[in-house]
Amino acid sequence: MLSIEQLHAGYRRLEVLHGVTLSVGAGDAADGAAGGELVAVIGANGAGKTTLLRTVSGLLRASAGQVLLDGTAISRLPAEKVAAAGLAHVPENRLVFPTLSVADNLRLGAWTRRRGGSRHRATSQDQVLELFPRLRDRLDQAAGTLSGGEQQMLAIGRGIMARPKVLVLDEPSVGLAPMVVTEIMQALARLRAEGLTILLIEQNARAAFKVADRVYLMDRGRVLLEGTPTELLDDVRVQHAYLGGGYTAATG
Amino acid sequence: MRLLPSRRSDVVGFVVLAVLLAVFPLMAPLSWVNVGVYALIYAIAAIGLTLLMGLAGQVSLGQASFFAIGAYTQGILVTRYGWSGIPSAVVAVLLASLAAFVLGLALLRLRGHYLALGTLGLGIIITVFATESDFTGGTSGIFGIPKPEFNGRTYDEPAEFFWLLIPVVVVALLVARNIVTSRVGRALGAVNDSEVAAETLGVDTFRLRLQVFTLSAAYAGLAGVFFAHWLAVVNPNAANFPLSVKFLLISVLGGLGTVWGAVVGGFLVEFLDEGMKTLIPQLIPGATGEVQLLGFGIVLVLVIILLPGGLHQAWLTLSGALGGRGRPAAEPPPRPAADGAPSPPGAATGPTDESPLFVRDGRPEPGSTLLEVRGLTKRFGGVVAVDDVDLDVRAGEILALIGPNGAGKTTCFNMVSGVLTPTSGSVTLDGHRIEGKKPHVFARSRATRTFQNLQGFGSATVLGNVMVGRHLRSRSGMLRGALLAPARREERQIAQAALDTVELVGLRDEAAVPAADLPFGRQRLMEVARALALEPDLLLLDEPMAGLSADERRALAQLLRRLRAGGMAIVLVEHDVEAVLALADRVAVLDDGRLIALGSPDEIRADPAVIAAYLGVDEHDTEAEDAVRQMSGESGGGRA
Amino acid sequence: MTDFLQLAFSGLTVGAVYALVAVGFVAIFTVSEVINLAQGEFAALSGLVAISAVASGLPLVAALALAVVSVGIVAVLMERLTIAPVKRMTTLTSIILTLGVSTALKALMLLVWGPNSRGLTPFPGQDFTVLGVSIRAQELWILGITAVVAVALIWFYERTGWGKALKACAEQPTAARLVGISLARASMLSFLIAGVTGAVAGVAASPIYFSSWEAGLAMGLKGFVAAALGGLVSIRGALLGGLSLGVLESLVAGYVDTGLRDAVAFVVLIILLVVRPGGVFGRHAEARV
Repeated sequence: MLSIEQLHAGYRRLEVLHGVTLSVGAGDAADGAAGGELVAVIGANGAGKTTLLRTVSGLLRASAGQVLLDGTAISRLPAEKVAAAGLAHVPENRLVFPTLSVADNLRLGAWTRRRGGSRHRATSQDQVLELFPRLRDRLDQAAGTLSGGEQQMLAIGRGIMARPKVLVLDEPSVGLAPMVVTEIMQALARLRAEGLTILLIEQNARAAFKVADRVYLMDRGRVLLEGTPTELLDDVRVQHAYLGGGYTAATG
Repeated sequence: MRLLPSRRSDVVGFVVLAVLLAVFPLMAPLSWVNVGVYALIYAIAAIGLTLLMGLAGQVSLGQASFFAIGAYTQGILVTRYGWSGIPSAVVAVLLASLAAFVLGLALLRLRGHYLALGTLGLGIIITVFATESDFTGGTSGIFGIPKPEFNGRTYDEPAEFFWLLIPVVVVALLVARNIVTSRVGRALGAVNDSEVAAETLGVDTFRLRLQVFTLSAAYAGLAGVFFAHWLAVVNPNAANFPLSVKFLLISVLGGLGTVWGAVVGGFLVEFLDEGMKTLIPQLIPGATGEVQLLGFGIVLVLVIILLPGGLHQAWLTLSGALGGRGRPAAEPPPRPAADGAPSPPGAATGPTDESPLFVRDGRPEPGSTLLEVRGLTKRFGGVVAVDDVDLDVRAGEILALIGPNGAGKTTCFNMVSGVLTPTSGSVTLDGHRIEGKKPHVFARSRATRTFQNLQGFGSATVLGNVMVGRHLRSRSGMLRGALLAPARREERQIAQAALDTVELVGLRDEAAVPAADLPFGRQRLMEVARALALEPDLLLLDEPMAGLSADERRALAQLLRRLRAGGMAIVLVEHDVEAVLALADRVAVLDDGRLIALGSPDEIRADPAVIAAYLGVDEHDTEAEDAVRQMSGESGGGRA
Repeated sequence: MTDFLQLAFSGLTVGAVYALVAVGFVAIFTVSEVINLAQGEFAALSGLVAISAVASGLPLVAALALAVVSVGIVAVLMERLTIAPVKRMTTLTSIILTLGVSTALKALMLLVWGPNSRGLTPFPGQDFTVLGVSIRAQELWILGITAVVAVALIWFYERTGWGKALKACAEQPTAARLVGISLARASMLSFLIAGVTGAVAGVAASPIYFSSWEAGLAMGLKGFVAAALGGLVSIRGALLGGLSLGVLESLVAGYVDTGLRDAVAFVVLIILLVVRPGGVFGRHAEARV
């Protein structure tokens, strides 16, 4: 569904991604009908995870390589066109629209389908509220007054409202209490079971391992490892990448 | 390698300019000389505006107001009170400056829009006042202002007046250029690149901006004085909007990167003005009034869109293309490759040197409490980013602040250093309550910080960056900077001290490289050096290890140990947990905004809550608990 | 008492014009953080266009429509030609740029319509007196039109998709792009709104306050002060700011000195910024996450 090939990108003269290749929902279309896939990309701070997502969703221009969404090249499109092509990006730090109500935030999530009629939107909104029942009581509240966990749920809900082909999330666990992280991960697992293709960027490896079908480990702008969570759980390289360069020196 | 900007090319420039100006009245037809007189007068006002825009990053749409204040004061004092030219000029310039000072006091704390509109309003007020008031002679204004006389010589011919103006313009340029290259100019340049970083190095942004605004009005006032004498009449038009636009155009066209541009811009705009006034009525019969504004407006828009740096930029591009002087051609930045070309921090002193650094008298007693944080809390809307944190930092210790992403570490730093105002709680540094005060207050108490996302001063070199760090360790104000001579010795001292600090972090070879061209990790080291240049007692480092090679990390750790030995207190936010545990005396752990543990590295290693928070598990999951146990065993060094 | 009522009423009318100019500042500023110094010129231009249209024999309604539409087009063109091409917009460049446009527009008006100011034909209706306050039909028109525009704008921003999208762009531009909102279109739309409200202010005010090539300068400054009273980000605040500024000006001119009328806005601006930089009528913008 989403395939990233030899992607290079960065800021000004600083290249952050040095040829990243990965794919999500890799099966062909017929196979994909059976259900989605949840792929997690993990890695320490500075591994290039956020840069990867920003490039995929068009906030950053790739310097080389390409991104295919359902077979269509999207790597030259600006962010708003990528959204229209069916990729919903739940950004780092949530970025809800603070003075708008929860309902309006969700409504804007369906911006790319705004000509589709309000009935579809109502159905989508019901799905979001079913997934995150906590938002139901807060529909008329300004999004900025929500707690961190609720804002994250709203940000994900806003992403789903677009009925995307692929949902990509940037560290949804940041700054949240463990219980809330679990709740959010369960919601992602459920979306995946319902057939959505999901790319999850996480620093919280434990949380990601519990829900992901496959995991990529990134380090300094490259993909270091790929495998199932069980394969990677005991891999010393994961801990190495996390706990920093001094780790092996200290223990080894 | 040239570390400081050369003064020789500037001296050549001044001589060439003076000669060119001196021969202009001899070569040009009379009507041109007449235009040239106005060009020079307006250029003086525009130099002030260039300083304001280029240094303070603010814009005045009412530069003509200060011009008018100067002109009216001069006219009134000379014609009505019989003062002679020079003392009344002094008063005129002071009054113009005073007006700016008062206005700036109100507006300069805010974003640039307000000063722009405020000065625009001042122009309208002065026009209204001058028109209505009998004191200023109403619409007819003040007239009969005599031409200046010195040593029995009357400067009444255009060429004579032009020559009289030349030394004034040259001195005005010299002063402006000296300020740009002075300590104050450097600090304001830094503010334009990153206000928050400059503030944490002790730069009082508001105060310096106010000084520059006041000075820029003095320039306008001085121009007004000459204008009054040359035209012999001052009427409300001196304050009007088209004149302010003209000053702005002269500055923008000349380029904000240089004070020279104002002189070139002055001539071009005056000729454009004259040309439009002749041309437009020929093209469009019956056109009267300020039709030249059409050209002004269009040129302004075109310059900003096509040539944002003005003619100065065009000049740099041109001289660059001709292979001449100017900036060296862009080349790819050196990479911190495995071949070890760039030297790691502390390379100069050898890898085993653990001698104390920055020892100084009057440091707080090691172990005494330097920073006291109580009940620190920050809410953003419904999100509690930091929740009731208590923390003490003692002199001469390394305290590590760790925790998962989003735990509130950087928000804590921001509140302690004055970048953010806490929702509640107190921050006491060296006995003074500083919460909610601006970062330069933090820096005044000998404390500073670095930033997680780089805040380099991109338009300066590495050395230039570190020299800003010496801001509080040097004193030259704008006046001394303007006069150059007394400030020069201090400049050399600043440069030398900065260079020593640069060497300490291993950036000696890159000292003259523009900061923006450095690789990520080297920029971090530069920011550490910049903070050290302040010689702080308390240093907050936000992820200084990120992006550094293993060698660089090791060397930085050594540097931090040496600083601790010298008595400095260091608070470290870091993701490289092992590096932190090896280095710190005490470790504080934040999770979800709360302080969940505080203790020695060994205590923290053994604390299951910490590891749970770090790797993210929920407490009802036995499988995860097993994993935690396993991990904590490993972190303790269990895996053989 | 009658004096007071008379002054307050005429102040309210002027204030309504300021309010219409002020909402244009807010519309643009919230989307792109640009203070559009040509906002006053939009008003001046529409007045002059309407005057010429009437003079050429067009019915008043058609002339008004023509003026509003053409200024709307000018505003969108301004955005496309001068704002959109700038890659790195700072406060400084935005001020200089819009000042350039404003200056060029002033000069164009001077070239086309000459230096004299003139007034548009008043809108139909009878002047009358109530409680000793004489009220001109045109003043009622101004108040009525302002009320309609105010309601329409509030409806637009609070009830329609595009209105909310504009707010979204103002609050979280990155997130707005990620849900598919085009910032370029949002910016154009904000200029269109500013152009139309400015133009409506211009044609409504012209019969009483006259139009001229340089009328936009004071109008723009006062509109800005009104918008600043609302903290620059609130439509309601800008409307209230405009009305109060108008009344205050009128009272000062009536009770203190006519010559001070134009000084009021400036003094209010300074006092406001010293005392309440976040605006009086707007919510103080809390630091964003």
